[in-house]
Amino acid sequence: MSSKRDIYKLLVLIAVLSVTFFGLGCVDSSPKENASVEENGSGTSLAGDAAVLKVFHAGSLSVPFEELENEFEARNPGVDVQRESAGSAKSVRKITELGKNADILASADYNLIPSMMMPEYADWYAAFARNQIVIAYTNESMYSDEINADNWYEILMRPGVRYGFSNPNDDPCGYRTQMVTQLAEFYYDDSQIYDDLILDLTGMTVTEENETFMVHVPASEALLVPDSNKTIMLRSMEVELSSALEMGEIDYFYIYRSVAVQHGFEFVELPAEIDLSSIEYADNYKLVQVEMANGDVVTGTPIVYGITIPTNAENPELATEFVKLLLEEPGQQIFIENGQPPIVPAFADGKESMPEELQALVQ
Amino acid sequence: MKATIRRKINIEPLTFVFSLLLLLLFFFIFVTLANMIFGQVLNDFSGLVNTAKNSSVMSSIFLSLYAGFLATLIALFLGAPAGYILARFDFPGKSLVESIIDVPVVVPHTVAGIALLTVFGSRGLLGGPLEPYIQFRDALPGIVVAMLFVSVPYLANSAREGFKSVNPRLENAARSLGAPLWKAFFFVTLPLSARHLMVGAVMTWARAISEFGAVVMIAYYPMIGPTLIYDRFLSYGLSASRPIAVLMILISLTIFIVIRILSAGWSIYDRD
Repeated sequence: MSSKRDIYKLLVLIAVLSVTFFGLGCVDSSPKENASVEENGSGTSLAGDAAVLKVFHAGSLSVPFEELENEFEARNPGVDVQRESAGSAKSVRKITELGKNADILASADYNLIPSMMMPEYADWYAAFARNQIVIAYTNESMYSDEINADNWYEILMRPGVRYGFSNPNDDPCGYRTQMVTQLAEFYYDDSQIYDDLILDLTGMTVTEENETFMVHVPASEALLVPDSNKTIMLRSMEVELSSALEMGEIDYFYIYRSVAVQHGFEFVELPAEIDLSSIEYADNYKLVQVEMANGDVVTGTPIVYGITIPTNAENPELATEFVKLLLEEPGQQIFIENGQPPIVPAFADGKESMPEELQALVQ
Repeated sequence: MKATIRRKINIEPLTFVFSLLLLLLFFFIFVTLANMIFGQVLNDFSGLVNTAKNSSVMSSIFLSLYAGFLATLIALFLGAPAGYILARFDFPGKSLVESIIDVPVVVPHTVAGIALLTVFGSRGLLGGPLEPYIQFRDALPGIVVAMLFVSVPYLANSAREGFKSVNPRLENAARSLGAPLWKAFFFVTLPLSARHLMVGAVMTWARAISEFGAVVMIAYYPMIGPTLIYDRFLSYGLSASRPIAVLMILISLTIFIVIRILSAGWSIYDRD
């Protein structure tokens, strides 16, 4: 008798759950259907049937591009901006190797556009914003009241101070950390900086050839030497270190300025000669290279964001509008707020191939 | 001969449908795993052998098994008594306690990892005072704590079900013959629910070995198997990470089959 009642209870429970979820499903999907009808309706007047703007961009551009998307959609009702965020090289390969169509490509390394896309998939690019490596901290960090651009490496070396960076094998921010610290040896004229901060605590090795320093990164499992876990915190991705700083697990970490700003961290701005921020010092940055465990070699380059409209764009007019918004005042403002200072006017290569409205906005 | 034919004809529709569903379930799991395992073994057997010879791969897999084993021991020590109390007594807030014990199964594991780091980190609630004695972050204790957190519900639940399946009258009978409660527990209840505990411990261990999200938050180093698999995937791609995954599956599978065979005899206890 009671087991029969239990079965009824179970059936009723399942029924209630399924009704709830189907109900939610309907509520969730119906406004979308309405919205897409509206989009198609007003989209026809603006740009035919194709009112979708496809944007491939680097992961570190997610926050500003989301704001740009909102701004752009507000100005162009009926247009749906679809963003796909991935590593910069991967975003380019989606176009060049997988044959996907994108109306806009924005890369965290402007160099990828000339080296991987031009001339077949792109005719021009504009370098529109910068980023840089900073040392982020909070007011709780040890010696946070003393740190500045002249003594940051001494403070990191002090006993008890813990700092972090991301795995150079997995994350560009990680290999850029190696470059910045190595460049610091030249700038501060102290050949012990890299040794004390990183080399002695990790499995990394350095070789020198024709004035160029190459950092060799071992396989990830051999990166830390025993007991260095008390000083260094290494994680696969920079995001995990942000939370470690918030909880006081580390005192400092190497990170992009944009991430530090977006998280509200305090940070030390390093000299432009070493922080990979400026095209001016590109020759300086070239002096350091990092060889990753898989054999890939990366050379120090400025962290400058580049954008282009690929030649296979399905919607070049809308894409031009988007790039214009990005290069003009509203776009600049968005990048300033997110800690990625815009380059004004943007620096362009292949200017004569650019859409005319954009030529006036670049150098 | 006749008998077997008749039996074939007499298959109940329910048995037939349920068997089909079992087949479906089996293939769902089998095809997914077999595709990866046989793909590796048939197409790139030498890669698998080389991976097995690699000492850092083997030590990371061993670390997974070892840390998982420690977590299971602690889970047994904590979860079995908890299961007994939950099975035998009613108290106010009991269903709340039961629900909270289940929460680690539901929480996204990266979130669990962050929560663990806030408690066991070097400035955390427990990690701070304990720092001079034991370091959790990027060390074995951190791995064990993360594994324990995500897997202890399996043990507590199966222990509770195991103790529930033992009729309290058997305990009472033992006690009426003069045995104190602890004796009744260790000589009557525990043997009768041994299989439940065993299954629970195996599940706990399995869950601990497979954990990645929570562990990687608190301890990226030393690398356990899943962390190494993920890392190889990021820096070299699928072809470098798959042999490690296959190796880990094969080793764990062997251990589980051995445990099942060894514990098969125990099922006699709870049949009657």
